[in-house]
Amino acid sequence: MEDIVIDVQGLSFYYAGNIRALKDISLSIQANTVTAFIGPSGCGKTTFLRCLNRMHDLYSGNRYEGRILIDGRNILDKDVDLIELRSKIGMVFQKPTPFPMSIFENIAFGLRLIGIKNRTEISERVEKALKDAALWDETRDRLHKSAYSLSGGQQQRLCIARAIAVKPEIVLMDEPCSALDPIATGKIEDLITELKQDYTVIIVTHNMQQAARVSDYTAFFMMGELVEYDRTERIFTNPSNKLTEDYITGRFG
Amino acid sequence: MRPYRRRRIENLVAISLCTLSAAIGLFWLFFILIDVVIEGVGALNLALFLEDPVPAGLEGGGLRNAFVGQLLLTMVAALLGVPVGLLGGTFLAEYGRGSRIGRIISLLSDIMTSVPSIVIGTFAYAVLVKPFGHFNGWAGSFALALIMIPIIIRTTEEMLKLVPWELREAAFALGAPYYRVILSIVYRGAAPGILTGILLSIARVAGETAPLLFTSFNNTFFSVDMNEPVPSLTVTVFQYAMGPYENWHAQAWAASLVITLFILIITLLGRFIIFRRYGKWKTL
Repeated sequence: MEDIVIDVQGLSFYYAGNIRALKDISLSIQANTVTAFIGPSGCGKTTFLRCLNRMHDLYSGNRYEGRILIDGRNILDKDVDLIELRSKIGMVFQKPTPFPMSIFENIAFGLRLIGIKNRTEISERVEKALKDAALWDETRDRLHKSAYSLSGGQQQRLCIARAIAVKPEIVLMDEPCSALDPIATGKIEDLITELKQDYTVIIVTHNMQQAARVSDYTAFFMMGELVEYDRTERIFTNPSNKLTEDYITGRFG
Repeated sequence: MRPYRRRRIENLVAISLCTLSAAIGLFWLFFILIDVVIEGVGALNLALFLEDPVPAGLEGGGLRNAFVGQLLLTMVAALLGVPVGLLGGTFLAEYGRGSRIGRIISLLSDIMTSVPSIVIGTFAYAVLVKPFGHFNGWAGSFALALIMIPIIIRTTEEMLKLVPWELREAAFALGAPYYRVILSIVYRGAAPGILTGILLSIARVAGETAPLLFTSFNNTFFSVDMNEPVPSLTVTVFQYAMGPYENWHAQAWAASLVITLFILIITLLGRFIIFRRYGKWKTL
């Protein structure tokens, strides 16, 4: 276990009204791997994912306990700059979320946020991001068309391009394929496998085949607890916990 | 088969009542519009737009002063009202979303939109006419702006709320500060709706007379000095229609037609922007 990027220690999370959604989670995630979070609906996997870039801070009344160390720094500290944190951690959502502007501008938006003003550099990095997201060939002739003119799968790849254009360390994906058809899903899965060369990817998924296909490590959550966390092939072939086995084999959930 | 017959009759009665009510409403609407068009078109001529009024009782002259004054009053009102309304609506939909103070302001804005415009005019009189001792254009524009603000606040709020929350989250997740999220993402998504709200509020105040009666009052001479009484079409229509001269009546009709067309054009423009954006003719 070398080169740990994220080290979660005893994390509990409470939604407004003191509703405990995560109970004492501890796990560490290694650099340049794909980790899948699986579990039945309402088990806390998305809640956990959103702790990692502190999206919960957008809403009042939410509370964290414990520590999340990213590169050795506890991101739950009061003095953490959320803007800086979120530019180090990209996020892709369940539904594609292109901004109401052109394909080019969608990616340039994030680049300008991190202070890049040079036009040539912006163009180069937009092109690079679109190539990395396997979207360049489909969009090179219509970069200045509205992002809404793309198909759902293309929009989601645009969102991935937007997230990686700013060169984050970690990319969080919250069920990125749940709104897509199987062909678009296949493309995104290929992309995820590519991405781990440069990034650490964490993906929440409802689809266990997807977890098995793309991830190196899998964490199984239930009722806000981390039940089992191990190498993916071990989780899917020889889980040590009865609950994991029951879930994987489709006995519930 | 009896119960079905009964239902059919009930249905017929309901449809007839609805249709009749609609017809009664539309009859008067068309009566007024057609009357304005027939009487107004007859009095329309180039002199109406190019000449100022001649002394009472004489033939000829136009309403150039009132057209210019009306535009001036409306434009200044928009300059005052649009920024306040836009920022107020932004507060309600973004920073104050779901807060107690936000809900109170939203409710008060709704009440403000239904306050009789003459009450607003009296208020403007009290704060901007009485202290200075004479009618002036600023007071008129201020009164019109007060009518615009709650309309723009509420349409802006509603339009911003239509922008999916996920879009804001996606921008936050990139590390964008809130003001950038609003300026670059939310406004851009809501722009057609906000613009339509602004246009409709302009159309609304362009037809107001009561708030101008004791503020900018009227002026038979050409004047663009906002510190003095400023002529307006609506007040001119009011005074000319009450006056004893035939050519005053004719000019009042013509002015009514021009205001009506102006409001119609602005409203259609607003609808057209919505149509371009959403592909259907929906109303606000």
